[in-house]
Amino acid sequence: MPKKKVSLDVTQVENFIFDMNRCIKCKGCTWVDHIYMPGIKFSTRCPSATRYLFDSYGAYGKMRIGLALAEGKLDYSDKLLEILYACTLCGACDVGCKRNLDLEIELTLEAIRIKAVKDGKGPMPEHKKIANNIATKHNSFGAPHENRRKWLPEGMKPASKAEVLYFVGCSASYTNPEIAQATVKILNASGTPFMLMPDEWCCGNALYSVGMMGEAQALARRNVEAVKQTGATTLLTSCAEGYRMWKVDYPKILNMSTADLGFRVVHLVEYVDELIKKGTLKPTKRVDLRLTYHDSCSLSRLSEPWVPWEGERGLWGVVAPPLERRRGANGVYQQPRDILSSIPGVELVEMPRMRENAFCCGAGRGTKEAFPDFALWAARQRLEEVKEVGAEAVVSACPWCKDNFAQAVKKNGGNLKVLDISELILASVEV
Amino acid sequence: MAISKEAYKVLESIVGAEYISADPTICEGYRAGPGGYECGLGYERVMTKVPGCVIMPRTTEEVQKIVKVCNRYKIPFVPYSTGWYGARSHPHVADELLIDLKRMDDFEIDDKHLYAVVGPGVIYSQLQEEAMRRGMYIIVGGGGSQVSAIANMIGDGWSPLSYRIGLPHRRILGTELVLPDGEIVLMGSLALQDDPFWGDGLGPDLRGLLRGFTGHRGCLGIVTKMAIKLMPFQPERLEPTGISPHTTLQLPTNRVRWINFTMPSRDSMKEAMFEMAKAEIGAGVTKVPLFWRAIAKARSKEEFWELWSKESEETISNFHVLRVLLVGFASEEQLEYEEQVLMDIIAELGGEARRTRPSDESWFKNADSAGMWLMCGGYVSVDYVIETIEHAIPHGENYAKLKRKFTPPLMPDYGDPGWFQSFELGHQGYSEFLVYWDPDENTDGVDHFYLETSKENIRKRFYTSLLGPHQPLYLTGPAYGPNYHKWLLAVKNEFDPNFVCHPPVPLAHDEFVERAEWMKPLKDWEGPEIAPKL
Repeated sequence: MPKKKVSLDVTQVENFIFDMNRCIKCKGCTWVDHIYMPGIKFSTRCPSATRYLFDSYGAYGKMRIGLALAEGKLDYSDKLLEILYACTLCGACDVGCKRNLDLEIELTLEAIRIKAVKDGKGPMPEHKKIANNIATKHNSFGAPHENRRKWLPEGMKPASKAEVLYFVGCSASYTNPEIAQATVKILNASGTPFMLMPDEWCCGNALYSVGMMGEAQALARRNVEAVKQTGATTLLTSCAEGYRMWKVDYPKILNMSTADLGFRVVHLVEYVDELIKKGTLKPTKRVDLRLTYHDSCSLSRLSEPWVPWEGERGLWGVVAPPLERRRGANGVYQQPRDILSSIPGVELVEMPRMRENAFCCGAGRGTKEAFPDFALWAARQRLEEVKEVGAEAVVSACPWCKDNFAQAVKKNGGNLKVLDISELILASVEV
Repeated sequence: MAISKEAYKVLESIVGAEYISADPTICEGYRAGPGGYECGLGYERVMTKVPGCVIMPRTTEEVQKIVKVCNRYKIPFVPYSTGWYGARSHPHVADELLIDLKRMDDFEIDDKHLYAVVGPGVIYSQLQEEAMRRGMYIIVGGGGSQVSAIANMIGDGWSPLSYRIGLPHRRILGTELVLPDGEIVLMGSLALQDDPFWGDGLGPDLRGLLRGFTGHRGCLGIVTKMAIKLMPFQPERLEPTGISPHTTLQLPTNRVRWINFTMPSRDSMKEAMFEMAKAEIGAGVTKVPLFWRAIAKARSKEEFWELWSKESEETISNFHVLRVLLVGFASEEQLEYEEQVLMDIIAELGGEARRTRPSDESWFKNADSAGMWLMCGGYVSVDYVIETIEHAIPHGENYAKLKRKFTPPLMPDYGDPGWFQSFELGHQGYSEFLVYWDPDENTDGVDHFYLETSKENIRKRFYTSLLGPHQPLYLTGPAYGPNYHKWLLAVKNEFDPNFVCHPPVPLAHDEFVERAEWMKPLKDWEGPEIAPKL
């Protein structure tokens, strides 16, 4: 059999024909890993397949649809775009598939969206609006750019030069300032000097996620260069989506390894976990709360570093040179749990679906903007699980999750607390 | 949309607009292949179609109404629970209605009388978890935890754990079946009262008709509810551990233990199975193909091939590993006793215990069956026999010889004679022959081998489980009946006078041979005139 050249380049959907061809409908992408199957309730991990039910919304359906599209056997339609975009790209399908089959499902889904944009059919109108906001105001909400630092607590002065650069992100800058405020106070409490980007722009998460590769690439180049100019050695985020962009998608977009970015990308929970374990930061104040931790997809199963790969595929689908597959096993799962467990008074209870099996909150990667009802539905599903384990609070490590859960709680009523982990850390260390 | 607007409207009025679609993108998402069980082969390419419409009923009443509409408007339909069974569980004719049963996921469990009542949308891992939480268990079929429990119970439904309790037909209790014309048949105790706790009912036992040997692939109606017998287990939890892809159930070794033994020969493995059966010990026992070990060791497809390419005819023929499961169902002392007896048996036969991981990912909550596609991309079990242990072993050996002629395109396996095990405490023997291929290669040879296995069974008098819905009915029927084919068609005609339920099953493989040019040279039997109503 002649060998075929292949790479992980998502701008060419042809690279993923093999993966679309080999899907066997085991639905490992939809069900919770059977080893961890909690029973009749909470048995799925794909929000899209669970909400819309038709197989076409599961990864197995999308692989078939993507293949037909790539081979020119299926035309674009409103339904097709809905199926492509009413999906949180949360990576549950990808780790599920790699439990047994090692197909590149997440990359395939990204590649199909990029193709849809290239073909002039995608993204959804709401996404185009975000793209316009980013182009004109440098943030996804269309808020005035000059307000980007308004969140800074009074009297708090970031360093003009420091090893650690805190990339705040659009959400913590505009809609969830409490997260940014808690983050810088934690850094202060630990004695970590930090700086901000001289002129911070959106990370471009929505742009890349909906397939607008050109725009995402331009932003990635600009942002990476801007960080390099600062001389920072560590880029710290408090947003899971931003973390994934910097750590995984920028290198992917720029065809480089995460290791070659020139600086380390860390999420606040990784940084704080290290500080606590070193004894630099001590969570001593009591927080009496029975809580559960929601794994944000971009911090957990989607966060393994990126390494470009190209090579050949031959008989039996064997590739050369060796491909180190990103299977989600090395995501940031344990650190937030260790942090929460170290806080006096906190009782951490796990939901049936946790770590790589977690059910996405529904907000990420352009979903909430285009399909707000679906996003809220997903959040409500997750909140049912929170209720099931009798938690008083749900804690996440991403403003998108927090915001979506908070909206769902507000809509549903009830007294469940929705917190970002930064707020809890701050409550336990603040003097 | 080929289903008439009028018929669509009627169907829509049954389930609501949200649960029916004839949109081409929705329908494309239900395509059988190109990947999947038996997919990528000629049968899938020639015989399957994208559905013309998909409908998702919630209740038995809705299923009945849908089926009646199909009969009224002559719309072919196919029941579909998870779609796992590859080509044969998907539409075979144009503009077919696919009845997706995933919304029918009702579940009740009776831990006092040890049974669960499930809808076709309930899968095995859900059922197993609910059962184990209450001190019971079920056999998760080799198809894996992801399959609909009902579909598997009426089709296959066995694994190495069947050693103790045999095939699943006896564990089918009260059952509700919607016939192809919409009539309801209540089976077992459901026929007498609204309580499905018992499998026997009035008149002849229809479970045989429902299952045949390995099912009818949905051509005799739709099972909408089934009570499934659960068995008492031991009380300790099998603890899930690890992060994907390395997840496993940690076994409580005081109550559950797998032990692998190196045996001196294939005969000694067979003897061990007989001796264990005589002593009435063990909860599972199977021969381990060398292939499984390579799969278990490899961390990727590439690593599998690196390991596998080091094997040879010699290593295969000298590899005799027996895997035994012990469960202290009643007590820790039971496990200790059984282990001592087992060690005596193995020692007498010259075997030796190997270090065995105290974990399970393949049988209790079978999580890795999909991994069968990792190595090559294409997979099907071409045959299984369920007869005696003496019968099972030569079955695999014969197939290994036959297979040489078809390798390639089949994966090189150095003459591996497949897998055999013991059911029903040694009263039955089981042999399954699995084949793998690269779907990007010419697969005509795989299609040929598949059919040749049927001829080999007839020649050598192996008691195959794959009859009508899996092989040409007019090839296998006269050989195994002699009127098996006529009876099956008579039943089909009686239940499905309009031939709308998953046509042309059970004549689908006959039709495949007629339609696929490359299959014609193999046809040396009298075929049916494919009925005009197909």
